[in-house]
Amino acid sequence: MTVRIYRDKEFELLDDVYDPSEDSYLLVDAALAEVRPGDRVLEIGTGSGIVSLFLMDRAASVVATDISPLACANARRNGVEVVRADLYHGLYGPFDLVIFNPPYLPTVAGDRLGSWLDHAFDGGPTGRKVIARFLEGIGTILPPCGRVLTVFSSLTGIDEVKEMYRSHGFTVETVSTEKVPFETLIVLRCVRRP
Amino acid sequence: MKKSLMEILCCPVCKGDLKLTIKKEEGDEIVDGSLYCAKCNETYPIEDGIPNLLPPGLR
Repeated sequence: MTVRIYRDKEFELLDDVYDPSEDSYLLVDAALAEVRPGDRVLEIGTGSGIVSLFLMDRAASVVATDISPLACANARRNGVEVVRADLYHGLYGPFDLVIFNPPYLPTVAGDRLGSWLDHAFDGGPTGRKVIARFLEGIGTILPPCGRVLTVFSSLTGIDEVKEMYRSHGFTVETVSTEKVPFETLIVLRCVRRP
Repeated sequence: MKKSLMEILCCPVCKGDLKLTIKKEEGDEIVDGSLYCAKCNETYPIEDGIPNLLPPGLR
């Protein structure tokens, strides 16, 4: 077990759980600017729970999911209300704000580690496989005017992801970008059209 | 999980309501128990305070 610190918060990190990195912190900052006191927030793929941890005392409610049992245990240890689930399947909603750091890296078979950590980064051959599954049924938990805040990489295809959200009925706005070695990270704010 | 979480949980397969059985609770926290979907005849465990709503094939 390791302790990590970001801004004013200390949190625990267990083995084989995604170690929060530039993408996580970019999403924390964007989420802090986005969240409203009345929001019912769902965070999908919470990992250590870091984003939810920052939102817990700033929203009406915060619930997180992860498919990894290790991530769920880690998020709970950090005080986050967590459900083990595949994306949002098993949650009824409705939510006002969905926060999603998907596995967004394009991968080939040899890239996978064969551990739960694969779910943190493995976006399939295009990097967009899980994003596509996420958008497929998003209308069941996110009503019109509901917002999605999501982070991904230039390696995922910025224009392609924007177009995926638009074609699922969202207006799309770039909230922040950050250049890191070999890629640019981007946070999108997507609002479901009425 | 808190009892109030029940309001937003549903069966991951049919989206139907779940029936809560509590085996162990601490205050308003459910530590151990289960969630049952009558329509699918499927039980989802709650262990160490974490409900596991993965469909049987994904567990």
